[in-house]
Amino acid sequence: MVKDMNMLIRKTWSPYLAGAVAGLVLCLSVLIGGKYFGASTTYVRSAGFLEKSVASEHVAKSSYFVRTKVKVDWQMLFVIGVILGAFISAQMSRDFTAVAIPPMWKRRFGTNKATRFLVAFLGGVIALFGARLAGG
Amino acid sequence: MTEWTRPERSGSALNQWFRVTHMLFCCGRDNGAHAVQKGVEIMDLIYGLITGILFGFLMQKAHVIRYDKQVGAMRLTDFTIFKFMLSAIIVGMVGIYFLKDFGIISLSVKSTSLGANIIGGLIFGIGWAIAGYCPGTAAGALGEGRWDALIVIFGMLAGAALYAEAYPAMKASILTWGNYGKITFPGILGWNHWIVIIILSVIYVGLFFLFEKKNV
Repeated sequence: MVKDMNMLIRKTWSPYLAGAVAGLVLCLSVLIGGKYFGASTTYVRSAGFLEKSVASEHVAKSSYFVRTKVKVDWQMLFVIGVILGAFISAQMSRDFTAVAIPPMWKRRFGTNKATRFLVAFLGGVIALFGARLAGG
Repeated sequence: MTEWTRPERSGSALNQWFRVTHMLFCCGRDNGAHAVQKGVEIMDLIYGLITGILFGFLMQKAHVIRYDKQVGAMRLTDFTIFKFMLSAIIVGMVGIYFLKDFGIISLSVKSTSLGANIIGGLIFGIGWAIAGYCPGTAAGALGEGRWDALIVIFGMLAGAALYAEAYPAMKASILTWGNYGKITFPGILGWNHWIVIIILSVIYVGLFFLFEKKNV
């Protein structure tokens, strides 16, 4: 009972409760700052920063980077915040564990890190390409 | 003035970070529109950080940023993510339309291009299933110590750079297919938005009961 009273250090919240509070956070974000949630644009802007450091003229000429400006904005800090928020939550509930290979992957494909990392990289490339095409 | 209102024209990422830090610590010395503009930009960034921390915290508590939960959702063996997302959607759509009806906020409707949405959605789904994380959850997963999420993030940066190269070709083809502009379900149906909200909420709550009955 005492353990249940401190929600912040609990390892697991009901997904219904956490989701409902997340919906409330979205409403407050739109109300206070006029911002809806998103993440994929941050990858575009960050890729732009990285490309700029090696080929700034190429980025300046790119029609996509003209449309999606290479800058630090609300969403970039939001994504950084998500990393921090998950870290804080995991630390508070002693749930932070350094894991390189997810359990489900391990059961099916084994413990080779190189395989998992190669597939993870390729999946990331495909997922973000698709997300940007779809407008997400 | 020009330096602050057009930060996108600055040089490297590091330079940009110096500017942001400079903005954070030096805003008190200026006055007038200049300071107001800077203040708005700084508040935007601070709100972004706070909102992200809250959202990341909630996703970690519900375990939805884990590979096993995301791939489990796609294999229809674990419905945690559906529960989280549909709960957020119910509260979000009621809250957002409530605020809109009072004229306090405006909607941010994205353009519908059937070609881009369908083809892009399929490609995204394949990538998401292979990676096991989406752009937002990869960030959260990294925060709770999942190192493979960092590799996914690197892949996503490469995917973003690749799309920037492919954009001119996409703009001339897929993006133009079935372009309907900024449409919404209540708009197409010609119904009051609350009817759509109630129908969707009833369907989602019905699904919740089904999930609990099946114990998934």
